[in-house]
Amino acid sequence: MRDNVRGGALTEVTFYILLSLYSPKHGYAVMQFIEEKTYGRLTLGAGTLYGALGSLKDKGWIKPCGDYGDRKKEYIITPSGREIVKREYIRLQELVNVAAGIIGGSV
Amino acid sequence: MADKGYRLIRTSELLYEFEQCGSKRVRYCIEFIGQKSKSSVREYHNFLEDMGYRVFYKNINLNYSVGKIRWRPWAEKCGQIAANGTTFNRELLIVEREDDGKPFSLHTTYEDKQNYYKSVRKPYLFLFAFSAILGIVMQAWAWGIFAAAFLVPAIFYQIEVMQLKRQARTKEW
Repeated sequence: MRDNVRGGALTEVTFYILLSLYSPKHGYAVMQFIEEKTYGRLTLGAGTLYGALGSLKDKGWIKPCGDYGDRKKEYIITPSGREIVKREYIRLQELVNVAAGIIGGSV
Repeated sequence: MADKGYRLIRTSELLYEFEQCGSKRVRYCIEFIGQKSKSSVREYHNFLEDMGYRVFYKNINLNYSVGKIRWRPWAEKCGQIAANGTTFNRELLIVEREDDGKPFSLHTTYEDKQNYYKSVRKPYLFLFAFSAILGIVMQAWAWGIFAAAFLVPAIFYQIEVMQLKRQARTKEW
């Protein structure tokens, strides 16, 4: 995933996955969360979601949680993942403020 | 077959077996997984089943040969030796999902699609280079023809990758 860690810019997919994992979720629940929150605008393919979860796990932003045994594998956000989300939130607010200043807050 | 109301039950080297699925329609997606190692195939398989999908394997060609083992230099590190227990004769993954009226695709972002097409392009590039080198060394036209045949799909997937890369500059999906 081409998230720009130094600049703090995350892709929309990464941001939504991290937000979804503030409570433990398995892959299908993450997909449902994103579809629900975006009213179906953003639909993730299972292969894309699998790759994204693996990439975020490698970065240490999420981790598997619980003793999943026969159950579905669940993930949760880590403290460093939460920090990344907070930084992205500030960056997006700044972006929205700049846009509002230019287009007058009217859409 | 899915459009005609049939559902896949089983695959074998030469055959697909279907049954009528009544009112519950299903959709299918096919993915090339020949480059994956045994453990990553297993992990991906489990993930897809956790998502509620059904997963089948299929061979990409007939492979009527002695010795069921292949060297795949284009595969990921632990998948370079393909044998019966790994992805040999299981190069394709057929994924089934209940039809909810929405489009079904496994890869949805431009970046992820690029990565997938790159993994499909690699075997063709390797076979092209291998055939071309043999053709030059052995001065044999037959190998040159093989090289040209492998170059066509390699170029096709290269164009796909370049188009997706261009789109990914401004959009994510």
